[in-house]
Amino acid sequence: MNWKTLARAAALLAGLAAFGAQAVPSLGDKLPRVAKGTADHGKFKELQRVFKSGPDVTKACLACHTDAAQQVQHTRHWTWEVVDPKTGQMLGKKNLINNFCTTTVSNEKDCMACHAGYGWQDKSFDFSREDNVDCLICHDSTGTYRKLPGDAGHPVYVRKEFPAGSGKFVEAVDLATVAQKVAMPSRANCGSCHFFGAGGDGTKHGDLDSSLKKPGKHLDVHMDAAGLNFSCVACHKTVDHQVPGSRYEFAASRSGPPTPRGKYDAEPAACQACHGDKPHHENPLLMDRLNVHTDKLACQTCHVPQFARNAIGTEKSWDWSTATKMGPEGKPIVVKDSAGRRAFDSKKGNFAWDSFLIPEYRWFNGKVAFKTLGEKIDPAGVVEINRPEGKPGDPGARIWPFKVHRGKQAYDPELKNLLVVHTAGEDHTALWHNFDWPKAIGTGMQTAGLPWSGKYDFVATEMSWPITHMVAPKGDAVTCAQCHTGEGRLAGVGGVWLPGQHRNAIIDTMGWAVVGLALLGTLIHGGIRVCVLCRRKKGTNPQ
Amino acid sequence: MLKLIIGIVLGAILSVVAIWQTAGKLMFEETVSPFTVEETVARIQHNVQAAGNGWALFGLRYPTRPVEAEGVSVLPVIAIEACSPKYSGPILKDDRTRFLSLLMPCKISVYKKSDGKVYIGTMNAGLIGKLFGPLVAETMEHVVADQKKFLEFDPTKPAPALILPKAGGEGGGGGAAAGGC
Repeated sequence: MNWKTLARAAALLAGLAAFGAQAVPSLGDKLPRVAKGTADHGKFKELQRVFKSGPDVTKACLACHTDAAQQVQHTRHWTWEVVDPKTGQMLGKKNLINNFCTTTVSNEKDCMACHAGYGWQDKSFDFSREDNVDCLICHDSTGTYRKLPGDAGHPVYVRKEFPAGSGKFVEAVDLATVAQKVAMPSRANCGSCHFFGAGGDGTKHGDLDSSLKKPGKHLDVHMDAAGLNFSCVACHKTVDHQVPGSRYEFAASRSGPPTPRGKYDAEPAACQACHGDKPHHENPLLMDRLNVHTDKLACQTCHVPQFARNAIGTEKSWDWSTATKMGPEGKPIVVKDSAGRRAFDSKKGNFAWDSFLIPEYRWFNGKVAFKTLGEKIDPAGVVEINRPEGKPGDPGARIWPFKVHRGKQAYDPELKNLLVVHTAGEDHTALWHNFDWPKAIGTGMQTAGLPWSGKYDFVATEMSWPITHMVAPKGDAVTCAQCHTGEGRLAGVGGVWLPGQHRNAIIDTMGWAVVGLALLGTLIHGGIRVCVLCRRKKGTNPQ
Repeated sequence: MLKLIIGIVLGAILSVVAIWQTAGKLMFEETVSPFTVEETVARIQHNVQAAGNGWALFGLRYPTRPVEAEGVSVLPVIAIEACSPKYSGPILKDDRTRFLSLLMPCKISVYKKSDGKVYIGTMNAGLIGKLFGPLVAETMEHVVADQKKFLEFDPTKPAPALILPKAGGEGGGGGAAAGGC
């Protein structure tokens, strides 16, 4: 009996055993199926009542989850504030200007639709009140919990038309039902804000949009709904409500092996946390060569070949300088592009959108220099709203893919700083209500407590977003030739020698000389042998 | 004599190789579009509608969708189908040319390549027409002239909306069917 016969016999026995296991149900199989998790919140008396508001629900949650609110209150999702440990700068949405809606200051009632809290509409918001924490925005599993701009973070309590005048209505949230069906955060929970940042699906990030609620493998191998089906928190592994992997604490490089499952990892959202820094091992001819790349390239540089890989697309630019221009009849207008995405809005200016975009590549060490409110700018050039830091030779830097969003923003030509514009709201100074730049800037700067010369103009700006989601199947990664060629993707990045793209005349000459000499040697050798053969033939010829 | 025969044979072989190498490129044409995939498609669609001569949109195809369903990431491709019964009618009426229905409706493909640019792919209708006799050749001359109009873009005009297929209407599967395509 050889080993093959033994293997077949073992496989047969295993098959029979498996058949037997199916044929005889265990005790567990006979019992009724149970829901995932160990607590059915629908059975809790605390939740079997009518809730009048979001804070009412939070109070009920805190009756059992006593420390949850305090944990949340120590997160960026609550404070919208981060201290840069290097510079001491106060960062976070509360203190920064972005390249989209520009700033939350004086626009809180709209912006706080994405705050994990209730009632933040101005500086008077009480960050210490625990019942102001919104549990449901992250834990709703029904998909019915909605917070709209203009409500300062409160959910929809009464059925309302949104957007106003659109004829579309948003139903009031049944808070009791939502509270009874809470669950661990799904992609839809995180996506309710992160997919729709800057006021629309896919607008801001380029690698996050609503297609990731239920993506196919072609769009993201990790979130593939029919495959691995990772939720966001599978990678952004949350401890005490702290969500790691923010762009304020970016793990741009990482060395060493993967962290074993179940062990604590300070950077769980980094690819290397699971894959290690030598992840290529399938092709023995290529693996060493590919693994050498990880010293210079982020994983995403090859494995996210394009971003916004769907019909949703992403916004490439936002030009505020054309805002307040009216249509032919002197009324505000909205114009869409061929794909139905926003192209112009009298409230906001011009936009450009596209899909399947090739990233721009830069050295990045995880640190970002942000423009804060009131900071001086140089209007002669393009103002970098945020600047990824890092350079060749920096051991913590890798070449990263970025979405670079470009635009134009209002600035003070005398004091030379970007301006805070009061855009949202129904008061007479809100730009989207009255279309009056000076009034909107006046209110915005006054609310921010910043001086304004009374003049305004527009300056070119750009903002960089590292691309890290929408990881394509490995067979669809960037190919060698897409970089190792004259006008390849990494042209202009600098600091790295790319065979095929970079040339050295001396080395090239030496190489070709070796090729030429080898050819010459072969010809001479072959010629001599042919001559010798001919002579031998002549010598043996009787005539 | 032997040299002459060898020369003829070698010439014939070289000609076949040359045709083999270039025929594919001759059959199809490719141009770069300055617009996004969707805008390029929309502009072509509106040009088709404005071209006259019975041209109507027949459909819009997304050949990448089944590939994506297999878990493969592939750059976007949208194929516009257009048809004119004025040109297709005579070809379809003739038993000798009816097999050319294989090439109907006319297709214009808009796609992105890995260089990030948007391309428009069309069939070289003029060349193909010459291969199938005088009727097809003459018809295809008209098609070529109209096809040029489809690809003339005026960048000063705002981006038109994409015409999405709808059942029973133009742009849908049944739209131009009523016209004889």
